[in-house]
Amino acid sequence: MTDGVSRRRFLAGAVALGAGVGAAALLAGCGGADGSDGSLQVSNWTSYIDPGAVRRFERDTGIRVTYTEDINDNNEWFAKNRAVLARRGWIGRDSVVLDDWIANRLINRLDWAVPMRADRLTNRANLLAELADPPHDPGRRYSLPWQVGLTGIAYNRSITGRDVRTVDEFLAVDGTTAVLTEMRDTVGLVMRASGADVTRPSAAAAEPAFETLERAVADGRIDAFTGNDYVNDLATGNLAAAFAWSGDVAQITRDNPDVRFVVPESGGLIWSDNHLIPRGARRPGAATEWIDWFYDPVNAARLTAYVQYISPVQGVADELARLGGPAARLVDDPLVVPTPDLLAEVAAFGILTEDDADTMDARFAALTGA
Amino acid sequence: MSGSVERDAQGRRRARWTPWLLLAPGVLWLFWFFYLPLYSLLRMSLSTKPSRFAVPEFSWAWSNYQQAFSDYGSQFTRSFTYALAATLLALLIAYPVAYVIAFRGGRYRNILLGLVVVPFFTNFLIRTLAWKTILGDQGGVVSLLRTVGLLDANEVLLRTPIAVIGGLTYNFLPFMVLPIYVSLEKIDPKLLDAARDLYSNTWRGFRKVVLPLSLPGVFAGSLLVFIPAAGDFVNAYYLGNAKTTMIGNVVQDQFLVQNNYPVAAALSFVFIAIVMVIVAVYSRLLGTEDLT
Repeated sequence: MTDGVSRRRFLAGAVALGAGVGAAALLAGCGGADGSDGSLQVSNWTSYIDPGAVRRFERDTGIRVTYTEDINDNNEWFAKNRAVLARRGWIGRDSVVLDDWIANRLINRLDWAVPMRADRLTNRANLLAELADPPHDPGRRYSLPWQVGLTGIAYNRSITGRDVRTVDEFLAVDGTTAVLTEMRDTVGLVMRASGADVTRPSAAAAEPAFETLERAVADGRIDAFTGNDYVNDLATGNLAAAFAWSGDVAQITRDNPDVRFVVPESGGLIWSDNHLIPRGARRPGAATEWIDWFYDPVNAARLTAYVQYISPVQGVADELARLGGPAARLVDDPLVVPTPDLLAEVAAFGILTEDDADTMDARFAALTGA
Repeated sequence: MSGSVERDAQGRRRARWTPWLLLAPGVLWLFWFFYLPLYSLLRMSLSTKPSRFAVPEFSWAWSNYQQAFSDYGSQFTRSFTYALAATLLALLIAYPVAYVIAFRGGRYRNILLGLVVVPFFTNFLIRTLAWKTILGDQGGVVSLLRTVGLLDANEVLLRTPIAVIGGLTYNFLPFMVLPIYVSLEKIDPKLLDAARDLYSNTWRGFRKVVLPLSLPGVFAGSLLVFIPAAGDFVNAYYLGNAKTTMIGNVVQDQFLVQNNYPVAAALSFVFIAIVMVIVAVYSRLLGTEDLT
């Protein structure tokens, strides 16, 4: 081809293009390789905030927020950010929301979380008393719960043909069953069925639970391990029953009354997602104001009305009633506003030693086939 | 001395370093994005970590390889068995499709090729999740198979090896269709005319002319399907169960859940080594001379 672009011209063009791309990357880097523009950088799980909250927070406080829904899994978040946190870098976030056990890891084992600014916590008194002193953060210096949930059994009654009330009944279900890929939820629920104390867990105490699970997987009584993709499968009938999280099921139960959630008779688990400020955060004060704002019962009620998990804030039930409409109906939903009886049936999975966590993670991985 | 300056046929000066300069971008690219990461992976695979969250330290820890073989042999076997099955199935489906498009497509050739590729504009994950609905216990496929008696009332498709292999086949199918199409499309139709002139029937013409000439496409296609399928973990995760996990699932769990980078790196290295041996043997059998 003589009328096309000559090789020399092509190479010159390619070099120019490369230089241009490099310069653009460099310019982008000047604005902050982490995408920071001086605003408060918040990371959270998907669909875990009401749509108007960020705008209202900005209006009330004058703090600009970049809100990113990029947390999908505690382990994945940890694997992605550990290298930067370990060398005391900034992960590009001032605020993250993570489970109790990983909050424990960041606060107590690794010292990768920084305390909240006490002077900016004006609504902290609204925290439910039951959540004020968790093992992973006594006195709540580093963390405040974002939302609280329960782990129990969900089942589709049109498939099971009967109610499921215990872990044994779950394992005897005639149909496809799934348990959670989160080790503490699955093993914890079976530990409660075996009579073990989950508030002081250990590999030895979990032994009977592991044996039960291993037998059930070998016999085909447990068919799958799932993240929260069990939700769709339960609704469509691909799963008869599954270990499940209350908030997920609260939402499908309203569309499909055949899907039900129970705390097993032997007891369920309660957990919270914790707001944390990671080490290296540029705006710890603003991050403290962010979580504090959600401890105003009015803002908390709007959050609950949308995400339908249990709120850690006192006075939310009254505010939900005041909001009226579908939000007011949530007051009577024990999965959103749990009764004292229900709360008496659940316990929080305690802290594992590093060795026990290693042992149990490895054994659980073998159970899942990985 | 004029001998130090080389000149080409047109009498232009030729610098000795020019070939090296032209090679430099490729070599640098290979070094930074292939050899260096590979070295880093090898080093990690021979490391140990003092505690779960400590940075692994290099220590010639061959025990990681021992663990990779002893604990995860079944996942390796499964990965390569499933990948082989998916490759064969993809070949069985892709060859007739590519043949029809190349020889019978006529003016619809581009549209037909587009139809092969268009579904793959959708995200890989979404396509895999769609199969969960299609193969679901309450879905149409299962009820049809139950009606015709191919499945018992208690038998399902989802969370079985069939679903995983099916997912792998579907997800990597275009990588088989396109290379085979390219090699078939290059075949000069006059060769088939010549075969007919020599009293060859259609089948014989296909066997003696078309098939040998399309082998480079088959070779490229089967590698393009086999290698990513063997390392895949998404299909086994969403369409399989605890007894259908592949080596990709183990690597993912070791990296992300157990934070055991050395064992994960050793598993990856073993995987690379096995794939290289398979590719070497395969290329010996099928030949690669005509790949370009």
